[in-house]
Amino acid sequence: MARMKFLCDSERCIECNACVTACKNENEVPWGINRRRVVTLDDGLQSEKSISVACMHCTDAPCQAVCPVDCFYTTDDGVVLHDKDMCIGCGYCFYACPFGAPQYSQEGAFGARGKMDKCTFCAGGPEEDHSHEELDKYGRNRLAEGKLPLCAEMCSTKSLLAGDGDIVSELFRNRVVRREGRGESWGWETAYND
Amino acid sequence: MINQLKYLSVIMLTLSMTACYEDTDVTFYEAGEYKGKFDPHSQTKEERSAILAKRFGQVQTDR
Repeated sequence: MARMKFLCDSERCIECNACVTACKNENEVPWGINRRRVVTLDDGLQSEKSISVACMHCTDAPCQAVCPVDCFYTTDDGVVLHDKDMCIGCGYCFYACPFGAPQYSQEGAFGARGKMDKCTFCAGGPEEDHSHEELDKYGRNRLAEGKLPLCAEMCSTKSLLAGDGDIVSELFRNRVVRREGRGESWGWETAYND
Repeated sequence: MINQLKYLSVIMLTLSMTACYEDTDVTFYEAGEYKGKFDPHSQTKEERSAILAKRFGQVQTDR
């Protein structure tokens, strides 16, 4: 059985933020919320690396473990989703998540913390497939259309991969073998002969 | 006439009270048990796995 996973190849990520934009546009994510972010380490140094981070759909998800109302569930594909009608916006999942994936929209006149929002692996939520309710609450359901998350599908360098964990790891393993321990062909060595 | 008005006001009051009805169904929490909505899928998991594996081969191959 397939278990859907993301993998970001830091040797290939060029910090273009196209994945962030694609996610916001595809899922009509509200202002102030980013389901996906690009994190850069050692910015401007030779050892600079970037990775694209969102919900990693953990097998033993800490958010699911700490939720006081148990609004999380895992689909047959291994995607961690939640029911927004049950969510009370307490923020426990935010403290538990090692990736900072849960986000909270500002709701009401005083900007109180609203229901939790996070990456759905473009799998919608517990509403009828392609319904208005599903689109409004959770975003597009691309998995039901036979497509994979748009962030990965439109990654120009194929740094961000999304799909069955076995297939993704096989592809990544082949890349690592091909590199023989070196970085990809572009980089500081190529540009500056340093 | 006054009697009719009385009857009318009683009917109006009853109707307005009916509109105040609130559904009192609550979800009782039980530790570790998801009691939210069921997530329906249009395909079986085997079908979906095969379709998504094919899709991966189409759009995420190495360059």
